[in-house]
Amino acid sequence: MTFREKLESGKFVVTAEVGPPKGTDITEMVHHLELLKGKVDAINITDNQSAVMRMNSLSGCVICLQHGVEPILQVTCRDRNRIGLQSDILGAYVLGVRNILCMTGDYVSAGDHKDAKPVYDIESVGLIRTVAGLNNGKDLSGNDLKGKTDFYIGAVVTPEANPLEPQLMKFEKKIRSGAKFFQTQAVYDMERLKEFMKFARQYPVKIIAGLVVLKSAGMAHFLNTNVPGIRVPQELIDELKAAGKEKALDTGLNITARHIRQIYEEKICDGVHVMAIGMEDKVPVILERAGLL
Amino acid sequence: MIITKKKDFQELYENIKGYRSFFLLGCSECATLCGTGGEPELKKLKETLEGLGKEVTATFVAKTGCQVLGTKVELKPFKEAIDKAECIIVLSCGAGTQTAVELYEDKPVYPANDSLFLGNMTRLKVFDERCSLCGKCILDKTGGICPITTCPKGLLHGPCGGMKNGHCEVSPELSCAWVRIYERMKRLNKLDELREFIIEPKEWSKAQKPRRHQDRPVEHKIS
Repeated sequence: MTFREKLESGKFVVTAEVGPPKGTDITEMVHHLELLKGKVDAINITDNQSAVMRMNSLSGCVICLQHGVEPILQVTCRDRNRIGLQSDILGAYVLGVRNILCMTGDYVSAGDHKDAKPVYDIESVGLIRTVAGLNNGKDLSGNDLKGKTDFYIGAVVTPEANPLEPQLMKFEKKIRSGAKFFQTQAVYDMERLKEFMKFARQYPVKIIAGLVVLKSAGMAHFLNTNVPGIRVPQELIDELKAAGKEKALDTGLNITARHIRQIYEEKICDGVHVMAIGMEDKVPVILERAGLL
Repeated sequence: MIITKKKDFQELYENIKGYRSFFLLGCSECATLCGTGGEPELKKLKETLEGLGKEVTATFVAKTGCQVLGTKVELKPFKEAIDKAECIIVLSCGAGTQTAVELYEDKPVYPANDSLFLGNMTRLKVFDERCSLCGKCILDKTGGICPITTCPKGLLHGPCGGMKNGHCEVSPELSCAWVRIYERMKRLNKLDELREFIIEPKEWSKAQKPRRHQDRPVEHKIS
């Protein structure tokens, strides 16, 4: 069963994230893929994440396929205009990629090439429409394609955005434009996630809850202060503090596992997306503790 | 208006130090409002140059420096002073500088200012970019607030994930353009309208340089 078939048939899915290397040495990336193989349903391959220049997402997806792992091609609009985007997306399809996650992309100032010219010829909603068009056999200018794509189109949403209403408006526009599944920004407050899901459940789309492992109380505090759209509740910070330095990471893994378990058992979302950020090797442990392995 | 900023004098001086005499041209529109090309700025540059042993043959603030024909007429009485000057220094925007270039083919022309953007004076001596001259205005759809210009990513359908407490991740001192648009449309009771539309990808063909707009009948030459 493919990632799409699983989600669409109502199976609870687990996805993870792997970033391509900065350079040509793919040893670590392949190690992570092998580690996650068979344990997750698909792996997101990031696209110059945080505007830091790395090997491209498409090559990462092909390596995924070579190792028997189903990839989700992350595509941002920061680095390519509509010609480059469509051309790469067609190539990805021909090479066997079937899932795509459409994003606008972090601004260049977040990354390591701050003087780069940001493109943003189109943005997330436009990109979703573009891929929907390719699926329909037409390019963005309405020209017929010789052979169309059949991508499972995904997008992102931030359930903890503040204010939330404009974000929900955009979420709805993404759905109308052709998004079929969503992976959320990291969520930590299950009650608030349920609130968001009450809204999201009005629409015929699949929602995969994003989870970022907390390594320490300090990291939780950093996320709250610096990362937009992420809110770690005080009780989790207290829990990490109480665990002490030695056990903080283990407690963080437990928190993620507990959230996964709750999302799964209470059917809050249709799956979870575990963003380990440098701790990909811990994902199997988390899934075991969540009872999903 | 076109927002301009005075170049560092040393940078200007590097360009003009080889000349002995100058004609200084300002502009009574944007550059005057920006304090970069009005009477006081011309006077100050004149004094600075004279202090360095240079000659200023005359100074003049054009009414609208980007209006080529009007400026040509205005400058007629200054023919002698301009002829006498080895070089023209323009204290306006890049368009004004190029008016002088167009009018005086044989004379070196140097800009005293950097042209920054099209914006509004929001407080005294504070200027904010408001319009990108993209060629296809969408203000009718966005409550009169331009996301092409005031959102660093030029988003068309709502805030990005970087919005934090109504502020922009790229420039935290900036309010998120899309939160502003949303709030304004809410105030105007037009949220349904805002939620409804999906804007087509921008027609960047409308912004291909160099642009020409001709609001007059096309002339048909009889050969």
